[in-house]
Amino acid sequence: MSGKIQSKMFVEPGTILDILKKEVDNGFNHLVTVTAVDLKESIELIYHLSDLKGNIKHVSTRIPRDKPEIATVTTLIPGADFYEREITDLFGISFYGKQTTTGRFILPECYPPGSPPPLLKNVDSNQVKDTLAKQETCEFKATTLHAPLSPESVVVPVGPYHPAFKEPEYFSLVTDGERIVKAFLRIGFVHRGIEKAAETRSYLRDIFLLERVCGICSASHSWCFVEAVEKLLGVEPPSRATYLRTIVAELERIHSHSLWLGLVGYWIGFESMFMWVWGIREEIMNLMEEISGNRVHKSFVTIGGVRRDVSDSLLRKIQERTKEFGKQFENLLDTLVSSEEVIERTKGIGKYDIEVARKFCTVGPVRRAAGELFDVRKLEPYGAYTEVDFEVPTEEEGDVYSLIKIRVKEVLESINIIHQLIEKMPSGNPVPSRYFMGTVPEGEAYGRIEAPRGELFYYVKANNTHNPYRVKIRTPTLANIQLVANILEGYSISDFPVIVTSIDPCFSCMDRVTVINSSTGEKTVLPVKLLKEKRRR
Amino acid sequence: MTSINSKLGFRKKSLWVYHFNSGGCNGCDIEFVASLTPRFDLERYGVQLVPSPRHADVLVVTGPVTKNSEGALKTIYDQIPEPKIVIAFGTCACSGGVFNNCYNILGGADKVVPVDIKVPGCPPKPEALVELLKKLTLGD
Ligand code: SF4
Repeated sequence: MSGKIQSKMFVEPGTILDILKKEVDNGFNHLVTVTAVDLKESIELIYHLSDLKGNIKHVSTRIPRDKPEIATVTTLIPGADFYEREITDLFGISFYGKQTTTGRFILPECYPPGSPPPLLKNVDSNQVKDTLAKQETCEFKATTLHAPLSPESVVVPVGPYHPAFKEPEYFSLVTDGERIVKAFLRIGFVHRGIEKAAETRSYLRDIFLLERVCGICSASHSWCFVEAVEKLLGVEPPSRATYLRTIVAELERIHSHSLWLGLVGYWIGFESMFMWVWGIREEIMNLMEEISGNRVHKSFVTIGGVRRDVSDSLLRKIQERTKEFGKQFENLLDTLVSSEEVIERTKGIGKYDIEVARKFCTVGPVRRAAGELFDVRKLEPYGAYTEVDFEVPTEEEGDVYSLIKIRVKEVLESINIIHQLIEKMPSGNPVPSRYFMGTVPEGEAYGRIEAPRGELFYYVKANNTHNPYRVKIRTPTLANIQLVANILEGYSISDFPVIVTSIDPCFSCMDRVTVINSSTGEKTVLPVKLLKEKRRR
Repeated sequence: MTSINSKLGFRKKSLWVYHFNSGGCNGCDIEFVASLTPRFDLERYGVQLVPSPRHADVLVVTGPVTKNSEGALKTIYDQIPEPKIVIAFGTCACSGGVFNNCYNILGGADKVVPVDIKVPGCPPKPEALVELLKKLTLGD
């Protein structure tokens, strides 16, 4: 259960590595994220650690503002790399002992070195905006190997605007013939600066802002934030509201997974799979529109309940339609997922094992495909998940095919969850009598839920005012993407889109930050043409 | 609409569309893609999604323009042959929307390229795009 942060473990900055090492050995081996908070006189870093039984620990340390540095923990937890880099850019903290720290990570490349880190409290959004406005257009730079390439090697740039991706991102693939030798990743075209904006808006307005972090898992974002705020307020939503929230979240999972399944079909050249899946997915979109009034940004969850009740007749309709969807979906599966073409192109592709999955702190289906039951719905049940009986599928192989199998089973399981919830739906009024407009008492809380792509984490710090003091978001993709750049090696270029799509990356979520690859010895070489060769048909 | 419609001349018969996400939340993008899939089936009006701006007649921009994508948007606009039409799809692309005062946001697409048609909505429904492109193709 998400909760108020009652106790933190305070440690000296110098001892952070030793302490974390001890905790990891105690079983707290999943680093959820690292949160930085500007406390004005010092900067606090909170390492949120979790074990596989649903316990969470917050290790806090304070570092002086005038000497903002601390040892990296990547030697212990390689997945911490991106979390730390995000902090370096946004708070100006340097993590020593790291292998590389070249260039900007989150902010645009043209944000001048030495300019104030935007998330510090004394820095104003407009100040950052003005600084950026003074810069010429930001030409971002591609990265490639430092060492001279062998004559056979070619650097294939993919993106940032490439039809393989619905969202901008940039990969440089160092290839030898058809084989990928090394992959470099540069993302961040969608970085908007939402965390800063959230500090200047009221809690109610933040719900609408935060659900727009991502258009695919929008209800998960608003719910996660609201969970944390409700914990701070000590508000318990009516049980009908938690049931309804859970139904919407599961509908969202169905829509998100089927969207993804369609895209995989598209990338392996199976366009009818794409069209069919997206065709039947419309039924789910219809339901969401009927429930909330919008197909995408449902604005359904609000502090203390939901914004609309769902009538019994609509609930019955949801039951019928999802049942029908389930049938069609299973039908599709018989013909599609078991087809030779799909198996050929996905089995044994993009393989990783559980050790690697743990190493990069992966979450959600990506973690489960390698055999670990890691699902917040089971670990730290929230909403109405304790009321229902459901399974979380896992696979052993850790390849694209097992990711397909997992997501497909999850869709069917979601339908099962929805049906159970509708059967048991409590009565009562789930809509709060008025929207929450007040202040939130001082304190810290976290929200942790299982979004379609995996564990989503929010940290909210309140200080008795109308606006949050700090909102930290850790999206599932940021945790998962580090894995991709590392497993691409050795596969052929034609597998590339499939492998990247396989983790279901959502760059809008992630690009509240910008990412640049972590390997050593990278250097800026290529002048980047923004538009590269397109999909070869 | 008529003036925009005549701007395209003979090319309006079958519009080829290039899609560009300049920093949006993905919501507009999935709705854009949905308009191409069976239920809405934009292709029945001869509309095709092309992978290169050099082949496009229409540029559909979704999302607010971030500092990072500003240059790319300009480049892409320049690569589309004349005559061309730019559609700002979604409130963000129209004005910056909910992200307007975020530090890395310049505003709507019209801050960078000339926009002919704005389709508000967060996100607009696929029907909006279908209707619009139909009008462009067939005239009012
Ligand atoms: S208009 Fe709405 S759906 Fe579209 S990109 Fe902006 S926030 Fe997302």
